[in-house]
Amino acid sequence: MSTIHVGEYLDLDLDAERWQCHDCGHDFGPAADDYKRGLLVSERDPSEIHPAGFEGEYTFAPKGDWIRVLEFICPGCGRQVESEYLPPGHPLTRDTTIDVASLKQRLADGSARVNDDGKLEVVR
Amino acid sequence: MSHPSLEEKMAALKVTPANDDERACADALAPGSYEIGVQRTADILDEGYEIFMRSSRSSMGIAGDSIVAMFNAAGDLVNASAGTYLHAVIPPIVIKYILSRHGENPGINDGDIWYTNDALYGGIHNPDQVAIMPVFFDDELVAWTAALSHTTETGAVEPGGMPLSATSRFEEGMNLPPMRVGQDFRLNDDIIEMFAAFGLRAEANVTVDMRARATTADRVRVRLLEMFQREGRDFVVGLLRRMLDEAEAGARSRIASWIDGTYECNTFSDAAGLSESLMRNCAMTMVKEGDHLLFDFTGTSPETPSSYNAHPQAVVGHMANYIYEYVFHDLPISSATFEPIDFVFPKNSMLSPDERAATSCSVMAATGAMSAVANCVSRARYGSDEWEQVAASQGNGGNAIVLAGMSQWGAMFADMIAYPINTEGQGARATGDGMDAYGFPWCAFGRAPDVESMENEFPMIVPFSSHWKDSGGHGKFRGGVGTAQLWVTHHVPMLFQMAIADNSNIQTPQPLFGGYAQPTVPGIVLDGVDVAAALAEAEAGTLTLEKLLDGSFGKVVSQPYGSQIHPVMADQSIIVGLSTGGTGYGDPLDRTPESVARDVVKQLVSVEVARDIYGVVVDADTGRLDTDATASLRDEHLDRRRSRGVPYDEFVAEWDQRKPDESILTHFGAWPSGEVVEPLMRP
Repeated sequence: MSTIHVGEYLDLDLDAERWQCHDCGHDFGPAADDYKRGLLVSERDPSEIHPAGFEGEYTFAPKGDWIRVLEFICPGCGRQVESEYLPPGHPLTRDTTIDVASLKQRLADGSARVNDDGKLEVVR
Repeated sequence: MSHPSLEEKMAALKVTPANDDERACADALAPGSYEIGVQRTADILDEGYEIFMRSSRSSMGIAGDSIVAMFNAAGDLVNASAGTYLHAVIPPIVIKYILSRHGENPGINDGDIWYTNDALYGGIHNPDQVAIMPVFFDDELVAWTAALSHTTETGAVEPGGMPLSATSRFEEGMNLPPMRVGQDFRLNDDIIEMFAAFGLRAEANVTVDMRARATTADRVRVRLLEMFQREGRDFVVGLLRRMLDEAEAGARSRIASWIDGTYECNTFSDAAGLSESLMRNCAMTMVKEGDHLLFDFTGTSPETPSSYNAHPQAVVGHMANYIYEYVFHDLPISSATFEPIDFVFPKNSMLSPDERAATSCSVMAATGAMSAVANCVSRARYGSDEWEQVAASQGNGGNAIVLAGMSQWGAMFADMIAYPINTEGQGARATGDGMDAYGFPWCAFGRAPDVESMENEFPMIVPFSSHWKDSGGHGKFRGGVGTAQLWVTHHVPMLFQMAIADNSNIQTPQPLFGGYAQPTVPGIVLDGVDVAAALAEAEAGTLTLEKLLDGSFGKVVSQPYGSQIHPVMADQSIIVGLSTGGTGYGDPLDRTPESVARDVVKQLVSVEVARDIYGVVVDADTGRLDTDATASLRDEHLDRRRSRGVPYDEFVAEWDQRKPDESILTHFGAWPSGEVVEPLMRP
């Protein structure tokens, strides 16, 4: 089996069935779980990211009591793997759940392969 | 009433199975003939698209925010020239409705001109109107043609076709179910008069646009008929069927190449018409299995007592904007590409409201779906060898300024300013930045008018026009920046202005892979604007958005960008027009310092954002990059990140105890499920 590059900073090790940092290889946990559980979370006020630009009730900065910026950080290299804008207390989104069994089956039956770039490629 | 049910509308999006005759005709196509035939349909449609733009009167039509399309005899979309991809979803629903409900009475005849703008019958919202013509060859119904565009006046409770204060469809002006508006290749004068009456505020726009649609549908009909005459009936029938076959095969092949899984995205909005509230305007779960996609919107906030609702087919249409532009860009614009895609819409959500709901601002309600589909598809696609096609969401602002009143030419007018909606920044891509001021996420081909055209069309002057610095979402690859203009009433005593908008409190799209979204879009008015001083500064080439905002040219008033209809007197600022940027892709600290320095020099990114977000030190005066200081600063940023980050489970334990203030949850539904709390009462 192989490692597939499934996100800009996210790899899936198919042999171990575990998530990894694409940049430093840090282990993010089992593929059956949300990869974000292996990351650090940093909550930011949106005005730290988006300068208000001028004074007023409505500015270029989203309002901090409406929305927060959550940054998901690799504990190994500090890479910002993901970010999400959520109202305070809103359940965090599990954005990616890969059907590992299906993926393994496609590789095993030869209908797909992992190319040199770590990408899934259909064998035609 | 016999308007189609949700199930009928969704079924109409699917391709009608080929009959034996069609199959035989498709199988008989000679090698090479198919490819030539496909190109011929594209040529016919491109000619129609050009005619449409030249015939239209409204700003949107002139800008090319439209579509011209052809269909087989059963009403399946075979190909189109766009324009506005969302319009592609509509006509099959309408044509199949006409065939099933009106085939006998009044009947379908050569020379008929059919028309509708009613979302209950399959439309997007009632400013979007379509003329449809059957194509008869040797007395046989062999095809259909259609032309669709947006006309910014419908005789609603407010001008501009997208009334902010409408609480039900009964306040939205003209809503026509599919009906015959012309026979024997002529529009009926009594119907045109009805359009003029509904369009009293902008009669020329309404009646000329109506004629433009009919003219365009007929031109495509004529050219298609020439093809039937030249190539023979069986060839064209076979060609249209084969195009559906190929489009479906292409779509299935592409979807199958991605990684199976479940992908989710939640997006939020902050206004329902004139009422500010937090809403989850899209809770999307995309299940990709083999060559099939299922989009489930369960969890989306309830329908609102405003015009910010969208009927399901309008939501599919908005997703088509992304899907045709980014996913099936090399396939015909065809019903068949949606064959492997299904949808689940929760009843009484803002994406599947009651039949009485106002939906004239459906474009605002559907921005979440339009954004979330980009996010979900990108995640499924990135692990495949199609990764280079991945992109973060467009900004999908669509904030629209309507001006109305008496023009400098002595004519009543009500129209939308096409410039800001056609100059949004593109979402960043997996291989590079989003394009700055790239266009209109609803219509990648739309053209922004130049300032001279705007000043000719509207009673105003535009002293300032520029890219909007820092408006692109930060990231390894930056979202394209949007634009900013200053508009001032001119040549008339006053005009009326309103703005269909949201995103002044929060933004809707989610970024991708560690990037950031774009900034919010505030409403900025310069009270007592000094036009002469602003023009002098502009003449010197030194007028910037920052200078407008420091109060030098008028007191800065901050308000929501969306606003109800109100007068603006002569020589007063209407608003600072803002066109949103695109979302960012990837970690900003992963962006090359040289790219950041270049952005600073080009006035696309400020020195402060370069320092605080990108960790790049650039000299404000010279634009020179300080490499050593940048390396040191980036190390500091990484250290700060790690030190402020907390383990996921620890974070969630505290986070789950929080909730937004009840005062901003008016239209959210139950927290956090989004379920309907109490039904809406619409008299």
